[in-house]
Amino acid sequence: MVNVKQLAKKKELITGGTFACTGCQAIYGLRLVGMALGKDTVIINAAGCMTLTATHPYTCYKTPWLFNAIENAASTATGVAKGFEAQGKKVNVVCYAGDGSTSEIGFGAVSGAAYRNDNIIYICYNNGNYANTGHQVSAETPEYARTLTSPIGKKNKFGNLLPRKSLAKLMAQNGAVYSATASTSYPHDFIEKLQKASKIKGFKFIDLLTPCEPGWLVKTNEMFKVGKMIVDSGMWPVYEIENKKVTINIKPAMTPVKDVLKMQGRYKHLNASMINYIQKKVKKEWETINSGKFWESNDY
Amino acid sequence: MELLDGNQCAAWGARLARVQYVPCYPITPQTEIIETIAQWKADGEFKGLFEQVDSEHSVLSAALGSAATGARTFTASSSQGLLLAHEIFPNISGTRLPMVYVNVSRAVSAPISLWCDHSDVLSVRDFGWIMLVCETNQEVLDSVIMSYKISEDKKIVLPVLVNMDGFVHSFTREQVVIPKQKMVDKFIPKQDLKIKLDVRNPKSMAVPVLHGYMYFRSQVHRAMLDSVSVIKKVHSDWYKLTGRKYDFFEGYKLSGAKEVIVMMGSYTTIAKNAVDQLRKKGRKVGLLRIRVLRPFNEILFKKMLKGVKHVGVVDQSIAPGLSGILFSEVRGMLPSVKVSNYIGGLGGKDVSDKEFIEIFDDLKKGKEVRKWLM
Repeated sequence: MVNVKQLAKKKELITGGTFACTGCQAIYGLRLVGMALGKDTVIINAAGCMTLTATHPYTCYKTPWLFNAIENAASTATGVAKGFEAQGKKVNVVCYAGDGSTSEIGFGAVSGAAYRNDNIIYICYNNGNYANTGHQVSAETPEYARTLTSPIGKKNKFGNLLPRKSLAKLMAQNGAVYSATASTSYPHDFIEKLQKASKIKGFKFIDLLTPCEPGWLVKTNEMFKVGKMIVDSGMWPVYEIENKKVTINIKPAMTPVKDVLKMQGRYKHLNASMINYIQKKVKKEWETINSGKFWESNDY
Repeated sequence: MELLDGNQCAAWGARLARVQYVPCYPITPQTEIIETIAQWKADGEFKGLFEQVDSEHSVLSAALGSAATGARTFTASSSQGLLLAHEIFPNISGTRLPMVYVNVSRAVSAPISLWCDHSDVLSVRDFGWIMLVCETNQEVLDSVIMSYKISEDKKIVLPVLVNMDGFVHSFTREQVVIPKQKMVDKFIPKQDLKIKLDVRNPKSMAVPVLHGYMYFRSQVHRAMLDSVSVIKKVHSDWYKLTGRKYDFFEGYKLSGAKEVIVMMGSYTTIAKNAVDQLRKKGRKVGLLRIRVLRPFNEILFKKMLKGVKHVGVVDQSIAPGLSGILFSEVRGMLPSVKVSNYIGGLGGKDVSDKEFIEIFDDLKKGKEVRKWLM
């Protein structure tokens, strides 16, 4: 178990005063990465919100940081890992890429790196939309969420109509030796997963839920709360997969989804029957998981 | 002397340079380069890391990553592969990383053609890469080795592209001298990168800029201009070691020439044949082959063409709606010379010595023309 007191003593690898939004969970996730992995870490970034946190002539990172493009954090990291290997250097190579990059435009590269089992820790900071470009729908946007390219109008009362991809599951099926989901609202769990991943050789994947204040339209002081409530409601299962063996790390209390949907402006348009639909789906998914049929669940 | 095709020459260049990482992806006519290295790896003769990845886009992305750690990096591609990786070309030069990429020229789709022209390589002309365009297989091998010296030079730190022509070079064997490993080791000792991914000296690399974008672009341009003197030195050092002479441009029977063909690549050999035939008849004709396309040594170019009356630029590329690409590049440099443009050899179409002779006849008439060698 991660000890809070020990963690508090650790040197942080990010300085204060970044360009991230107030309440941003993605930058908090990076902070945890630094605390968990220490300074022998390089971070490869894909175009997205976090790209702006190192903007010339400023940077908030005390570890090496490399940007390349949006769809190739995984393949860039492949080269970084091999470059270090060729020189006999032991460094944690971490990808920190958003959900649009990971689930859509860069999916081929991520799948390739997983298949080749390149020695990388790939973290998808998942805020469920293309946040940096002003909140458009991604393959990780949950069903019925409003984004600027899945808007509510006279003809569409639902918002996004497609369920999200289950990235951690997909990556396990693509060959990741370790694949997990996590939430910034459960930092201990995330840190333990990072430390575990750093000890495994090969491609490790963590799908990290990072609530997004301007995208989800959540009050700044409720950012941690909303993440926690999503996990507790069962909407974001927290699990890890090693060699096809699934472990549920946090058993959700199954609080009603309507409480957490209400906190988010992106669900303002939902009526009772839509909420009911989401609730039913969450319930069904967990029934499937709890009966030992994890691989048969659709959305998780 | 060994009988080697162009692809094997490129592979030998990489092997002798002791590259540390080769990410790759197959495409005709380049594939034999990576197959050769793969076989060496399987036989234990190649010590670097070798990895086939999921696309050319990933190849160049991985090459950027590896170069950023300071590892000596090599890869190769062609045509559609180069186009898929397009986005990463300016990223590598903009991040100021050294590496060598061999392009085996092949026409771009559609329609599909497997044979050579320069429309692929010229599409990355403006992305901040030093570009060497070869005529012979020996030149390919020598250029790959020399490129590491140029690329890793502390004043430059830019990637280098070495171009050969698909099929004509890639699958045609020539007598080639393979340089001695010891000599190459001495010639290109690994240079350390000043700014790289180093946990003891952490830097944020290739980040966005608020202001100063122009500064960084101007620095790439400046390094490119500075590379002229470095390339000159590398050429002369290589000459001292091997006796093989290279320059920015190759002048062929330029002395006293009134009509001159300007071109690049493997087809030059055929044009040289035409020059020989006409010179025998007493005609004052010559040829200028562009070898270093970037940086373009404009001063030397003008000097070499002094006194020429009519230049015929033979382009294996077309900028539809304008002209051949080389033509539009050099025409402005020669304000007091007549310049004609001939588009030929697209998709590997043959251009015969007879056709080159016709071009010289055309040039002699003194009227500027733009023609297609159909």
